[in-house]
Amino acid sequence: MFVGAVFFPLLGATISGFFGRWIGSRAAQWSSVGCMVLAAVCGALAFAEVAMDSRPATVGLGTWIDVGGFELAWALRYDTLAAVMVAMVTLISTLIHLYSVGYMSHDATPPRFFAYLSLFTFMMLMLVTADNLAQLFFGWEGVGLASYLLIGYWYDRDSANAAAMKAFIVNRVGDFFFMLGVALVFLTFDSIDFSEIFAAVPQHTGDTFLGLNSIELIGVLLFLGACGKSAQLGLHTWLPDAMEGPTPVSALIHAATMVTAGVFLVCRMSPLMEFAPNALTLVTFVGASTALFAATIGCVQNDIKRIIAYSTCSQLGYMFFAAGVGAYQVAMFHLFTHAFFKALLFLGAGSVIHAMSDEQDIRRMGGIWSKIPVTYAVMWIGSLALAGIPFFAGYYSKDAILEAAFAAHSLVGGYAFICGILAAFLTAFYSWRLLILTFHGEPRADEHTMGHIHESPVVMLAPLLLLAVGAVLAGYLFYDFFVGEHEHAFWAGSIVNAAHNHIMHDMHEVPAWVPLAPTVVAVLGIALAYFLYMVAPGLPARLAAAVPALYRFLLNKWYFDELYDRIFVGPARRLAAVFWKIGDVRIIDGMPNGAASLAAGASRGAVRIQTGRVANYAFAMIIGLVFFVSLFMLGLR
Amino acid sequence: MSWTLALPEIVLAVAGLAILAGGVLPKRDTFFPASMAVVGALLLTAVLVIGQEEGTAFGGQYVSDSFSSFMKLLTILGGALGLLLALDWNEKEGLGRFEFSVLVLYATLGGMVMVSANDLMTTYLGLELLSLPLYVVAAFNRDDARSSEAGLKYFVLGALASGLLLYGASLIYGFAGSTNFDRLAEALSAGQQASPGLVVGIVFVIAALAFKVSAVPFHMWTPDVYEGAPTPVTAFFAMAPKVAAIALLARVLLGPFGDVAAQWQQIMLLVSMGSMVLGAFAAIGQRNIKRLMAYSSIGHVGYALMGVAVASDEGLRGLLVYMAIYILMNVGTFAVIVAMRRGGRAVEQVDDLAGLGRTDPGTAMWMAVFMFSMAGIPPLAGFFGKLYVFLAAVQGGFWVLATVGVLTSVVSAYYYLRIVKVMYFDQGVGALDRAPASLSVVMAGTGLFNLLFILWPAPILAAAGAAAAALLA
Amino acid sequence: MGTAGATTDMTIGLSHYLTVGAILLVLGILGIFLNRKNVIVILMSVELILLSVNLNFVAFSAALGDLAGQVFAMFVLTVAAAEAAIGLAIVVVYFRNTGSIEVEDISTLRG
Repeated sequence: MFVGAVFFPLLGATISGFFGRWIGSRAAQWSSVGCMVLAAVCGALAFAEVAMDSRPATVGLGTWIDVGGFELAWALRYDTLAAVMVAMVTLISTLIHLYSVGYMSHDATPPRFFAYLSLFTFMMLMLVTADNLAQLFFGWEGVGLASYLLIGYWYDRDSANAAAMKAFIVNRVGDFFFMLGVALVFLTFDSIDFSEIFAAVPQHTGDTFLGLNSIELIGVLLFLGACGKSAQLGLHTWLPDAMEGPTPVSALIHAATMVTAGVFLVCRMSPLMEFAPNALTLVTFVGASTALFAATIGCVQNDIKRIIAYSTCSQLGYMFFAAGVGAYQVAMFHLFTHAFFKALLFLGAGSVIHAMSDEQDIRRMGGIWSKIPVTYAVMWIGSLALAGIPFFAGYYSKDAILEAAFAAHSLVGGYAFICGILAAFLTAFYSWRLLILTFHGEPRADEHTMGHIHESPVVMLAPLLLLAVGAVLAGYLFYDFFVGEHEHAFWAGSIVNAAHNHIMHDMHEVPAWVPLAPTVVAVLGIALAYFLYMVAPGLPARLAAAVPALYRFLLNKWYFDELYDRIFVGPARRLAAVFWKIGDVRIIDGMPNGAASLAAGASRGAVRIQTGRVANYAFAMIIGLVFFVSLFMLGLR
Repeated sequence: MSWTLALPEIVLAVAGLAILAGGVLPKRDTFFPASMAVVGALLLTAVLVIGQEEGTAFGGQYVSDSFSSFMKLLTILGGALGLLLALDWNEKEGLGRFEFSVLVLYATLGGMVMVSANDLMTTYLGLELLSLPLYVVAAFNRDDARSSEAGLKYFVLGALASGLLLYGASLIYGFAGSTNFDRLAEALSAGQQASPGLVVGIVFVIAALAFKVSAVPFHMWTPDVYEGAPTPVTAFFAMAPKVAAIALLARVLLGPFGDVAAQWQQIMLLVSMGSMVLGAFAAIGQRNIKRLMAYSSIGHVGYALMGVAVASDEGLRGLLVYMAIYILMNVGTFAVIVAMRRGGRAVEQVDDLAGLGRTDPGTAMWMAVFMFSMAGIPPLAGFFGKLYVFLAAVQGGFWVLATVGVLTSVVSAYYYLRIVKVMYFDQGVGALDRAPASLSVVMAGTGLFNLLFILWPAPILAAAGAAAAALLA
Repeated sequence: MGTAGATTDMTIGLSHYLTVGAILLVLGILGIFLNRKNVIVILMSVELILLSVNLNFVAFSAALGDLAGQVFAMFVLTVAAAEAAIGLAIVVVYFRNTGSIEVEDISTLRG
């Protein structure tokens, strides 16, 4: 069961990847879906046993590396934290596999797509069940690779290739910090095994590295690594571009699972992070800033997938600042609920795009709600959950996050609370802007497209409906376990709150207006969107014209890409040119060319004795023999 | 005396006779069924080897321990895979005669006898049982001048080498009073100074075995024979005989002569370094890919012999791991080379691979994997092979050896990567023929091994560790 | 059993046998790499080497009073016959292809 949950996806990937050509496209698709279903069943059983019955387990799979006294084992670490992720990932991934059967039906090479998708799932499961940092890094790089392959899936499109490259490079920046963090962990603790690290943290609180506190430094480095994967402010630029991939990919990787790996990492390392208060402050600050920043951009984007992408970025910010104030449980709760409604929104958007003959610009949609009612309904549910309207999944988790931020009673906690409230307002606003522009008003698409609008097939709608159920119920059903009264028994030590950290208690004792505030601002946001886009549809354009600078600033995503171009890419190009002129032409070509001609000379010499004559060969053998005999005789004396 | 201990060899020999008889009787061509029967017999033997008990038999002439089991399995693997590579090629080249498969079977049997040899007599018989079929298969394409020249060269030099082995054996027998390894060990550990006659004998034996593994300076035959012999035969040459001879070398040197290690170590160091250097440099200018692989195999033998030269537990384990990985990257590479055909004719220049990245991405990808693995680039299997022998050298304090090893592996990376470059960036003259299914399967299987070794190295490491412990105990 | 080195009474001892063996070995080796004419001569040289080995084995066997050396010599004789047969067969094949068995000609594969 524990092993099955992780390895069935690998089986599926192998089948459709290597044998897809033989068994045919249809069989490959359904076999990988079948493997995923088995994995999801195993995942659910594991969740029931580990999380609900509090029976954590570690499954050893064998020795991995054994080099000069440094031993590492492959093992699956199933504690509550891992079980939650495994259950969530396998379930969502199964639904998305199913959805893809419909969505990719017109594609030329579905087996390749399913192989990548299953491979990604396997790597993600490897990541969340890792028993040590090396295995986690294996999964970490694996999901990065799968994401790269999937973003560039349509490799004949230049924009897809460029986006894949960008995602790869930006992630490398994060990975670099992550690797430094792992190296420092090994230096400090002499081990990269989770249980050994966590046990040893209290003894190492005083350690310093280069004059800085080691634990703090580890925390910051690992968080910077997490920033790359989870698209936090500064390293977020790849995520919107990653929407070049097929929509199911955006739903699975760039919304529900992979991007949350960073949050998972911070929660996994909670026993260590608890001793790094300054690193946590940084986490809170960056998370809160990202939440607000991404929400502002989301308000003016016109590509349906990019709006949701920025919303993902913003929600990840929420999770980070929840972890930053010490409420890891709350962060995991939001991660869990978010997976449902964000996957739902993406798949819904995919269904819209499918219906609109691959149109993604919401300015060219409108007036289609009656033609695709099921999609319309699930998009409503997803948006309600995202905006945090009471009794939908997002309400419970987002409220909990804001309560925790308020209850932190620190400066940065207050900053996070304010950012969070503002972002909640903007979230509601852009969600309804999207809904209204997409489904209501005058149809703005051409006749031809409008004539072709059709509801998606059942194989796509079924996952949507299941996810919709999750988006409605996930918060209500699991609130008590994740953050409520059963919280302590549920997590069973897989998340650690240090002795001085009472946030899980304090967050339930905030003033009465705090839990109400998010709901109120969300309703206000919806109202504003309704007013601007339903009642007075001319107003937004006039507003944009009134403050053109602000509008352009937001539309160009705060000029982050331009900034990076100016600061990093441009100088790097110039530097490269200089290096090429001086370094390459003079030194590199000069020195290695010398070495190369030396090697070529040696090669000619070695080959020259190879005359082809038997007599010479025999002679060489005898000379060697005589030489060795004399050497041996000399050695004897 | 329990002859049942040698059951794997006996079964294989009898199976060989049966296949020979079965092949002669029918009028029509029986290459394919005979080959399948041989592969089946080899598989059966492998099963028997796995179940083989430990002990000695035939008056101490034959020994079975986990070291012999490990190396026998590698030998059998080399033999079976070599035969699989030959299936399609021999049919296309008009060499589809069933004797080929029987010869491969007996050569493999000879290798197994060598691995289990515990006496100079067994050593000699195993060596000849290995060599005689090899002379024949090297010249198997009897209408081709190059093939017969390769056979003739290999025969003349091989006969000289076995003459040297025998002369060495006679000296050892005369001066130590026995041909049995166990009694030799007793005689040598008695403490008295080894006599010059014995020393000369040991060097002669080392020279003969170095010839079989084609280590410098006894390597001269290798490039010529590799180039001239039919390609699947070349592949076989690079596998089974090497494993068997290296196993024998390790057993002779670390077993009976383990107590005089200080004296032969010097020789093995020179042999190892010489092989690494020659393998790295001489291959650079090669245009014929079989010849290039010959020099590459000389280099690989140099790395493997590092494990013998350091004469330690870790070194021996490194050697065993190295040989296992070497076999599996070599057979993959040769699967690609055997598959190289254009318009139905076999081609063997490096430039013939040009453009393969576009015309046959699958084959090109596997070839790239093998080349990266051979060059020792992490995270592929080849890297770990080198890592373990280098670690052993460093732990034994052989810094010069380790440094030479690292430097030569950098140099040799050049020609491996050149092949990758040719495949992906050069303009080809035309597409190669599609690789037959049997070869694609071999490529995919060994390619996956090379890719995935990093995930599950434990079984091979554990088996190699146990085998090394058995020999040094 | 011969007395090693006892030359006064002109008995033929172990050292004599070993000397003859060594001379035969050197002759055989020289025959392989000094011979420029004929491959058959190489085959004969190989036989000469094996002969020297057999002489050694039998002499040692007698000197040690141990039968193993003679057994070994029997094995060598048997295998040598097979080896010679295979060698001649390969020479024949080579001759059919090139029309020559000049040692100098066996050098088309090189470099």
